[in-house]
Amino acid sequence: MGNFKYLSPEWAAEATRRLQEDLTPEKMKHLTSSMTTVYTNCPDGQERTVYYRLEDGVVQEVSLHQEDAPQAEFTIKGDYETFAQISRAELKARAALMSGKLTLKGNLVKALRLAPVVDRLNEVLATIPTDF
Amino acid sequence: MPQATTMQDDPYFIDFPQRIRDIQAAMAQQGVDVYLGSRLRTLSWTLDAFCPWRSHVVIPTQGLPTVITFVIDAARVEDDSWLDEDHVWGYGPMGGQDQISLLCDLILPHLPGGKGTVGIESGMATYLPEGNLTQYEYERLSAALPEASLANAHNIVDRLSLIKDEGTINRFREASRIVDVGHQAVREAIQDGGYQGMTETEIAGLAAYAMRKAGSEWEWSFTGGNEIASGYRTGLAAGACTPASRRELRSGEPLMVDLHAMFKLGLGDHAHNYLLGPASERQHWHAQNFVDLVDLCLKTYRAGISPTSLADELLDFCEERGFAEYMVPGFEHGIGMMGDEWRIGLNEGPFPYWTDPEHLYQAGEMVICAMQYACPEEGIGFRYENPILVAEDGCEAMSKFPLGIEEI
Repeated sequence: MGNFKYLSPEWAAEATRRLQEDLTPEKMKHLTSSMTTVYTNCPDGQERTVYYRLEDGVVQEVSLHQEDAPQAEFTIKGDYETFAQISRAELKARAALMSGKLTLKGNLVKALRLAPVVDRLNEVLATIPTDF
Repeated sequence: MPQATTMQDDPYFIDFPQRIRDIQAAMAQQGVDVYLGSRLRTLSWTLDAFCPWRSHVVIPTQGLPTVITFVIDAARVEDDSWLDEDHVWGYGPMGGQDQISLLCDLILPHLPGGKGTVGIESGMATYLPEGNLTQYEYERLSAALPEASLANAHNIVDRLSLIKDEGTINRFREASRIVDVGHQAVREAIQDGGYQGMTETEIAGLAAYAMRKAGSEWEWSFTGGNEIASGYRTGLAAGACTPASRRELRSGEPLMVDLHAMFKLGLGDHAHNYLLGPASERQHWHAQNFVDLVDLCLKTYRAGISPTSLADELLDFCEERGFAEYMVPGFEHGIGMMGDEWRIGLNEGPFPYWTDPEHLYQAGEMVICAMQYACPEEGIGFRYENPILVAEDGCEAMSKFPLGIEEI
């Protein structure tokens, strides 16, 4: 099996499959929430958004958007390359936020409480063989 | 269980949603599109929560306010406040989560096209933790909201918070009852020679312990919590600020005990004085002067008088009795929920951000009746403080600890 192209429809489908398979509702603390990650300066110069929706700890949706992303409870925004570094485990998401490479919109108190849950989600995404 | 007082039949109930609506009505009158409160007094008065970390409250023209505070304290502020999780945000050193970014996120939706007036709180104060907008905050917000104008609007909250409602008054009554418990504990500890070997800090601590047991949240005064002075420290010239020191109490000296308790942001503040025996005739003379003056002052307070007329009357009395040179010529300071201390009334006097000497007291206002007697050359002085509620025909002194300077 070849690698998935980062942020392609195939990558999103694989992400959904792995997240649903690997993350139990208990592991995800029965969380109901939504999050978008906004990638600026993609290789083609465009901006892309990935929308994640969880209901009762189950990932229901991972979808790609360019201009019509749904509203989410949390939005994390940053350079494509920053997200790529995080996915390649070259940079910790927390360090990227603390240094301002990523910006977070949404209630920080809630976000801190949910950070370990999001880390679990990122750990699964990092297992996808990806071409950046 | 959340700490907020939300039941209308609770004696400490305050209608905070109505306070917000009152602010919003005043904003409409003054052409303010969004109000940015930063002063500790504004935070207490609008949120019903103590905000010890730098915090801001954003009040739109309609709907609920949102507060931002240091993330480590946001959940506790929410628990204490009447506001829910979606209206108490935490800030932190993180992209998009710093104070200015969050404030812009909260303010911009209320400024169509980014244009409009943001009411801010600016000025100066004798009170260090007043919390006016800093120059840095002003510059950063101005840069982030280039089409908006920032206009000083603190008079909105100052005007609305001047007359105290029943819930606020009851909170002050309870805080004052707790202070009386502290004074009783001090009296029991120092009587019959019990003061020997004690230090000022010990007096402050045992009072604090008694008041905490009785329900006080903290010894709220920024002047050092419970202020205790003994010996010459009671008589420091104009010295109405004496954080407790390690000085040991000694016989033949005066002792001043100024206690502070907080109950649901209502503030107890009462000073009582002793002579640690044996006391000299001269010390008793000083003491009687002070007690008589306090008594006269409490009988003089009523609606319609002003700080100037009160001072004139009381200083005449001091002159007649021959102790005018020992009196600090001020007899009160302002008070409100936590953070509202010092200035009385609005910013209308000849000296900006000081009490207007011609301010006419109205029924329902509260002040701390505060008097300081100091005779440095004899190493003796006394202090009286007590929250009072001004009425049409007099005043209610909230601390009930008996007035007097007894020889212990």
